[in-house]
Amino acid sequence: MDAPTRLRQRAHAVLAAVVSFVCLVFSAAFVSSMARPDAAAAARSGTIRGRVELRRTATPTERRPGVGDFGTPAARDLPDLLRSVVYLESAPRGAFEASEGGHAVMDQRNETFVPHVIAIMTGTTVDFPNSDKFYHNVFSLSKTRTFDLGRYAAGHSQSVRFDRPGIVRVFCDIHSHMNAFVLVFSHPFFAVTDAEGRYRIDNVPPGTYGVIAWNEGTWSETKQASVPDGGFSELDFAIR
Amino acid sequence: MSAGSTAARVAWLLVVCAGAARAQTLPSEPIALADGRVTVSGDVAASFGSKDPGFFDYTDYEHSALRLMRIDVSAAVKAGPHFTVLAEVRTENFGRLEPYALFLRVRPWTARDFDIQVGRVPPTFGAFARHTYANDNPLIGYPLAYQYLTTVRPDALPASADELLRKRGLGWLVRYSIGNPVAAPGVPLVSAFRWDTGVQAHAGLGMASMTASVTTGTISNPLVTDDNDGRQVAGRLELRPVAGLVLGTSAARGPFVAQSAVRAVDDMQPGNSFTQTAWGADAEYSRGYYLLRFETIVSAWTLPVAPTPPQQLPITSPLSVVSLSVEGRYKLRPGLYAAARYDRLTFSDVTGAVAGTLPWDAPVARVEVGGGYAIQRNLLLKVSVQRNSRDGGPLERSATLGAAQLVFWF
Repeated sequence: MDAPTRLRQRAHAVLAAVVSFVCLVFSAAFVSSMARPDAAAAARSGTIRGRVELRRTATPTERRPGVGDFGTPAARDLPDLLRSVVYLESAPRGAFEASEGGHAVMDQRNETFVPHVIAIMTGTTVDFPNSDKFYHNVFSLSKTRTFDLGRYAAGHSQSVRFDRPGIVRVFCDIHSHMNAFVLVFSHPFFAVTDAEGRYRIDNVPPGTYGVIAWNEGTWSETKQASVPDGGFSELDFAIR
Repeated sequence: MSAGSTAARVAWLLVVCAGAARAQTLPSEPIALADGRVTVSGDVAASFGSKDPGFFDYTDYEHSALRLMRIDVSAAVKAGPHFTVLAEVRTENFGRLEPYALFLRVRPWTARDFDIQVGRVPPTFGAFARHTYANDNPLIGYPLAYQYLTTVRPDALPASADELLRKRGLGWLVRYSIGNPVAAPGVPLVSAFRWDTGVQAHAGLGMASMTASVTTGTISNPLVTDDNDGRQVAGRLELRPVAGLVLGTSAARGPFVAQSAVRAVDDMQPGNSFTQTAWGADAEYSRGYYLLRFETIVSAWTLPVAPTPPQQLPITSPLSVVSLSVEGRYKLRPGLYAAARYDRLTFSDVTGAVAGTLPWDAPVARVEVGGGYAIQRNLLLKVSVQRNSRDGGPLERSATLGAAQLVFWF
């Protein structure tokens, strides 16, 4: 074998080795991406959607009888108790990466928290502005997040950051009929229903998940949702 | 109850409370029936406190406010947009069930802040009387003006200044020579334990609100049925210039002495009226984590002048008393607060032949310091210590009393 031939063979061998290495790297990357649903989700996420039917009549908290009052209390707004929260019981790996934390608002308007229910991710800060002419005093003794914002007047706002997942029951220390819920999740796969009870959880990586609906402290049974690649999974709930 | 058993009860209370979860597991919403037209709520306050041999904390029901099990059930029945019937029944130490309030509230024009209440109505006078519910009182004791029993009685009268001065500091159980011969408690300046019966009108206009009432009793002696054919007229003006600030002033005047006692004196001359006249001013300011309350009341009782026994001096009416109360509360952290109150009663002077010139009842002062811890939103544990002092009278002149109270409401 002459020298040019040996050189050519060696070049072929090096080229083959490089190609093999590149193929190996790409294969590894492909396998790795298959093992990480969140990475796949960015490319081919699906949606879980459906409806939550409330088969019980939730009634707003009434005022306590104002026996010590001189007159009829002013009319107040009633909270919207028809909103439910639907969420994945167990989220895909990678969904728990720390989020930057956004802002949400729960207003105090006409002796009512508006909205009555908010669902947020951990790290989110909730603003509690007072839109009434009189004082409110937002507080919670929930284990998930204990706080007391004190009394503040119209046009002022106080904020609370929620860093632990769980359900936080919010009250007003002055108006005992005022209450609300903050549902804090460690993943982004949740949705609050609309006025008709419809919900939609987007960007769900393909896979099978347990899904739960919640309304006013009552949970539905866990249902399984199989989310196809880039497709929809329909899932309806009934809460009794 | 001995000090040991008091301590044991308090310890039991603390253990029970410590065992309760912080999460909201107790129902806190009023019971609503008939689509919310009927609502029922309740307040339970169990207080365990020191013995009170000086009778500093006794109320007009002969119970100590520091050793009281009080259960209130309130209800409102709405009959359309114009009419609401409100009622409250109360029992203390599992005794008789008393109707504390029962009245019809009428709102003639739904768009106007104007109401008329008829029946056993909330007190028009003062600020504290409508805030006696345990969850609205940051401490366990009451302001002296609303609880401390003076030596004045509506149905029994001293024959002279000397007899009145001999009773100084004995308001928890006092007996006089004229009128009802049975020993009974005197009255506080304003009763927080009974509501009066009559008609009350209330109007709100912007930051101001006005309330006026005509009732059968007086602020110190509210009644269901009249005992002297007289009517008390009371009024209150309240201003809320900014959020968190409430300024109030009240006045009341009504015949106080029962007919039976007047007849016993035989002082039925035309123009004589044996009244209680009172004026009060109060202020409340709150912001952030603190709440401050101030209230002062000036009250004067005009009593019939009886034929004075030999070598004694007649009573120089009216018998006046001035109360002052300052109260503060500060939230230390969610569910935990500290509170303090200072109040005192000072009485006008009366001159007796033997005792000389003295306040007609022994001046009394109280400092109470305590706090509360919300085990749950509607389950509150309070503890307090109060130092009472009285300048005169045969009973203990000072006492340091401690108490714990568990409050539950829904």
